[in-house]
Amino acid sequence: MAEKAIMFDSSRCSACKGCQVACKTWNLLPSPIELNSQKWSGTLQNPPDLDENTRLVISFDEKPREKYGVDWAFGRRGCSHCTDAPCVQVCPSGCMHKDEETGFVIFDTDLCTGCQYCHMACPFDVPRYHNVGLSGYNITVNKCTACIDRVRNDRAPACVSTCQPGALMFGDRDEMLKIAHERVDLLKEKGFEAARVYGENEMGGLHTLRVLKYPIEQYGLPENPQTSPLLGAMGWMKPILGVGAVALVGGLGISFLTGLGYHRDEMRYDEVNHDIIDVDTGETIRHIDKEAGER
Amino acid sequence: MATKRFIKRHSLQTRLTHGTVVFSCIWLMISGLFIFVPPLAAAAPGVAQFMRVTHRIVGTIFILVPIISAIAAPGGFKAFLGKYFTKWTPEDFEFMKKFVPYMLGPKRVHMPDQDEVKSGQRVADGMLILGGIAMGVSGLVLWLGTSVFAASPGTIAVMRFIHDLFFMVLVVFVAAHFYLGSGIFQPYRGTRKLMFGSGEVPESDALYHWGFWAREEIEKGENVVEREV
Repeated sequence: MAEKAIMFDSSRCSACKGCQVACKTWNLLPSPIELNSQKWSGTLQNPPDLDENTRLVISFDEKPREKYGVDWAFGRRGCSHCTDAPCVQVCPSGCMHKDEETGFVIFDTDLCTGCQYCHMACPFDVPRYHNVGLSGYNITVNKCTACIDRVRNDRAPACVSTCQPGALMFGDRDEMLKIAHERVDLLKEKGFEAARVYGENEMGGLHTLRVLKYPIEQYGLPENPQTSPLLGAMGWMKPILGVGAVALVGGLGISFLTGLGYHRDEMRYDEVNHDIIDVDTGETIRHIDKEAGER
Repeated sequence: MATKRFIKRHSLQTRLTHGTVVFSCIWLMISGLFIFVPPLAAAAPGVAQFMRVTHRIVGTIFILVPIISAIAAPGGFKAFLGKYFTKWTPEDFEFMKKFVPYMLGPKRVHMPDQDEVKSGQRVADGMLILGGIAMGVSGLVLWLGTSVFAASPGTIAVMRFIHDLFFMVLVVFVAAHFYLGSGIFQPYRGTRKLMFGSGEVPESDALYHWGFWAREEIEKGENVVEREV
């Protein structure tokens, strides 16, 4: 199977949120149904962000034009499925991993230890967690898997399958990139100068490609996504600890061997005459000359 | 049977605080390994979850017990600080200079007299305390910042770096502390009883390890007890 990608064309998106519904339906992710139980984002964006049961959100951004009207940007907020996925690099249990065939970043809930390091590493602020609480028990990650179960059975991800205006496409990554560039060329012809493809090279290449109609700021995407340089430093800590531990054990072992057979005579202190005396022989080992300032 | 003198060195409260911190520290290291060493978590994710929960509970004990102990005995805590933050004597510097040769040849290298806390102890224990504070603070942010409030990914990354770094520092200093404190190092035989026993040190051992302090205590006599052994 060739490397795959989901391609989101913001210029075609009507923000119907059918993809959000399809995602929840296929992945059995509930939504709160109580009155006013959702936070209000201040826009039509709903829910306001990704959460433990929401892997995909259509983002809304309005920017007034200079003369009249607004640039109304619809974005697709969810996992970008990085080639150089830092979440995979930091995952201590192997829960977060790459699907070698497609390049999508997927996870195995049974292996999740709930450390939440993947959230720390993600430059897109994506992974969310079930059961977050003080006890830390049974915290498990949740994020877009590109419906890998569907993909492995030659079906498009649920979000793509339901997109009426054709803003979402799925296929081989090379082909998706080609279409994305064609769309950008067309948008530029129509006067959308800021139009661009996002995801071709970012983080080694994303498997969620985006055609951005408006400037990138309107989509909440980082211009140059990067992960903390400290994560790299943490990578070499463990080998150092390993070498250090071996050296320490070796050093203490030598110290122990050189100390074998050590013996010292029992001492007592004569506080009247300020003498240190060998208990067995009664000999004065040392006199503390208090008058000379000795302690 | 002979009458021997002992010097009271550590109070019951000090020993209980130390013992609680020791067992907390051991458990925190074991449970932390399930995150620090990926194959462990991968091999037994259920155990890793259990370890994570206990890491938080024991971490709380690790942080709270010394604080409660300090609050319960403010005078003792002040005296404790005074022993560590004190001006170094020439003997203190000599002790540090001779430390490694002594560790590798205790039969031929003789150490200078020391006060109640050896200069080497001040450095090593200071690192343990500093490491404990760094682990406690970073651990709290890692814990609460991902449950009670949402710390930024950058903050979490820094805190995790500190947590990992001081874990390494503590492994080194705890191992050395254990080696000396438990008396595996032959000249230190019997020191285990100072924290995991009566808290008293025999006169002869006190004169060997902390000469200045031992003579001062014996001259004062307040903390000296005689016992048939």
